[in-house]
Amino acid sequence: MSGPRPVAAADRMTPNHASPLLSCRGLTKRFGGGPLACDRVDLDLFAGRIHVLLGENGAGKSTLMSMLSGWVRPDAGTLFLDETPFFPRSPALAARKGIGMVHQRFSLIEALSGAENLALAAGRALSPRAASDLARRIGLPLDPRKRVAELSMGERQRLEILKLLSRDARILILDEPTSVLAPMEIGGLYDALRRLADQGRAVALITHKLSEIAEVADEVSVMRHGRMAARNLTRRGGASGEWDTAELLRHMAGREVPGVSAKRAGAPKTAPGEIVLRAHALCGPDGPAAGAGVNLEVARGEVLAIVGVAGNGQGALAAMLGGMARPARGELSVLGRRPDRELVAYVPEDRHGTATVASMTLSENMLLTAAGRRGAVFSRKAGARAAEQAIDSLRVAASGADCLARELSGGNLQKFILARELSKSAPLLVMEQPTQGLDALSVSEVHAAILRAARTAAVVLVTGDPAEALSLADRVAVIFKGRIVGMLGSDEPDALDRIGRLMAGLVPERHAGAGRAGKEG
Amino acid sequence: MISLRLAIESRDSSPLMRAVLSVLLALVAAGFLGSLAFALAGGEVSATWRALIKGALGSGYSLSEILLKAAPLTLTGLAVALCRHLNLWNIGAEGQFVFGALSACAVGLSMPPGWPAYLGLPLALAAAIAGGAAYSLGPALLKARLGVSEILSTLLLNYVALLFMEHLYFGPWRDPLGMGFPGTAELPQAVWLPALFGSRVHWGLPLALGLSGAVWLLLARTRWGFSARVLGLSPQAAAYAGFSSVSLTVTAMCLSGALAGLAGAGELLGVQHRLQDGLASGLGFTGIIVAFLARQNPLAVPLAALFLGGLLVGADQLQTELRLPGAVIATLQAALLFGFMLGEFLAGKRLRLKISASGNDHAS
Repeated sequence: MSGPRPVAAADRMTPNHASPLLSCRGLTKRFGGGPLACDRVDLDLFAGRIHVLLGENGAGKSTLMSMLSGWVRPDAGTLFLDETPFFPRSPALAARKGIGMVHQRFSLIEALSGAENLALAAGRALSPRAASDLARRIGLPLDPRKRVAELSMGERQRLEILKLLSRDARILILDEPTSVLAPMEIGGLYDALRRLADQGRAVALITHKLSEIAEVADEVSVMRHGRMAARNLTRRGGASGEWDTAELLRHMAGREVPGVSAKRAGAPKTAPGEIVLRAHALCGPDGPAAGAGVNLEVARGEVLAIVGVAGNGQGALAAMLGGMARPARGELSVLGRRPDRELVAYVPEDRHGTATVASMTLSENMLLTAAGRRGAVFSRKAGARAAEQAIDSLRVAASGADCLARELSGGNLQKFILARELSKSAPLLVMEQPTQGLDALSVSEVHAAILRAARTAAVVLVTGDPAEALSLADRVAVIFKGRIVGMLGSDEPDALDRIGRLMAGLVPERHAGAGRAGKEG
Repeated sequence: MISLRLAIESRDSSPLMRAVLSVLLALVAAGFLGSLAFALAGGEVSATWRALIKGALGSGYSLSEILLKAAPLTLTGLAVALCRHLNLWNIGAEGQFVFGALSACAVGLSMPPGWPAYLGLPLALAAAIAGGAAYSLGPALLKARLGVSEILSTLLLNYVALLFMEHLYFGPWRDPLGMGFPGTAELPQAVWLPALFGSRVHWGLPLALGLSGAVWLLLARTRWGFSARVLGLSPQAAAYAGFSSVSLTVTAMCLSGALAGLAGAGELLGVQHRLQDGLASGLGFTGIIVAFLARQNPLAVPLAALFLGGLLVGADQLQTELRLPGAVIATLQAALLFGFMLGEFLAGKRLRLKISASGNDHAS
């Protein structure tokens, strides 16, 4: 197999003249009965360029890249390699054609050394010396004699990249490569990727971290809800220019968000009632990354959104507010008491393992948090009745209360969970990513239900989607590295833009003060 | 070039189908491996099977012996099955069985002469329940508080219990009038479990049957049982629902220990009437196989216990008539367990022969 052709730096700046190394047109994939994971997606990857694919969790990025590298078979669409139609039937075939992907979860054999793992991938023996030469040439230093179990996550990632190179990969796809790296390792990875691109390879990175693209990307595409929202964007004013962060963010969030009108028209703003949730100097149980001195106050009749890029501590914060995790330090009270299942209706992000038990019926799942939780006898009748009501209230597509939770699609299960939690009429409602993976119609139903609940309860909405936050919430708190770095009223001018910059950690905006931030809005 | 390969794929099958398939496969595997063991032990295979079946079902006496064995096996099987619903492994039913027997024996030995049965027997049974539960409390707390594997702690404590029992009947509790035989004196009749219909079968059997219904009710119809099943299926969901994994784990393990302790008391108060060698003959360990054959369903446990009881009674016959080593039956039991696990695995899968033409991958 011939090695990739080196690309002059000038080539990078004038993409329009080159033809893409790998491209796809109309790629479509649906898993099970769920919404379309990828909906007629087009993309071009060029030699010599680093392409960043941006999008929220569940936007379809990984599915798209898995289809390019043969891990997932598309339902429809065409792929072109060097402008010839091509169908990656399996990862092995894609690898033979020079396409390789590094997944978020590595596929290394821990008991073997780095060199042995490389040999397995390359299909030929590779001496440790040859392996370490290869590693040094690329700028990914690694001791190939060490067993994988002894390697750090960063070193394992290098080994995965070397595996692709040992098979002469011309197209390298990396899924969230920085998520396993310490901050100082990220620069080294980017340098190596740049070198690989300059040698004539196409590099594609998946990320949802807006802040990371600035230094590394030659091109950016943005996915949202399975669609390609913007394709092959370039920097403002040429290769050395800046990225228009606000524009990228708008593509990520989308402009049209159902539910906006529902709030403005349906519910005239009422003065917030008594303070339901009080959090003071709250710290998560797993160190500062999981909440560091968070102060919040939320009143009855008010929606507070907590917005952040995934992995900034909002999950741990939601678990504490939802009464599932105990704070390590700080005070937390709901109407003056410790949060429990009676006081807090909580919708966690994990639908299948946490919010429901997959192999139990909907009646039984109803009894997890709602319906007849008192008394020694387990009332299946009460569960069934409540489950039927929940199914009706949000029009869950389920055959009945005896249906197993795992038989529901992700979106329908989410609607069922929401209906269950709303049925409790608890004074505090905490919801994590409530509309992730739902189709547009379900999203608007869920939004309407949240706004209905907010008339009588205090609502905390944890989301990665600034547009959703702005459309539902009265106030928006932005969380970054476990801290609330800003608190905005949703009707402030250019709120979306400011939220975007705060989420990316680009603006060290005033830290939210304890009582003040809680009371404004 | 055409290549053939056998692929294992998962498939959706109804729970009933799975149950039938796995039990059937268990029996087939046991039949096959058992025959192998018989042949290796030097027996003639078909004659050995005939002797086994005749030994188990051949006479009224052997049938009552099966019922006699089924009572403790039901209780130890329930002990294991109950814990399995919380995804816990109680491998210590043998030790809890012993401690139940020891506690009941202590009550019997310290009872003033002339006590009525309506006081003595309930007291001895209550002591057995408390003893079995107390013996599993340690592993339960270690598991719930510190995450220590209950498999290891309960397994190892079995040997402690067995040695402690030996110490008692060789030492402090030895019958002074026993002419040197190791064992306690015969317990007063006030603590005996009365026999049924003039046979050796005692009230332990209806008690065990009643408890299998009670355990089923507990798991299927009470809030505690619901919480326990949620914890077993998804600890995350249990935490979300606010169920306390510590208290559920500890209560379940103690209930389990109490059931095994009752089994020990049944053997002591219903059959042996004194603490002596041979009281603990592996009925606790066999409970694991009973629970598995019953697929953890408390209502099916008595049936599985009957089956295993038959195997044990038939095996006695093999040893006395054909002079085959007792280990042959242990092998048969092991084959049953392995066959069952294989069945559980295969019942959810299907084997398919895959024919693929390789070599034209590059074509597209």
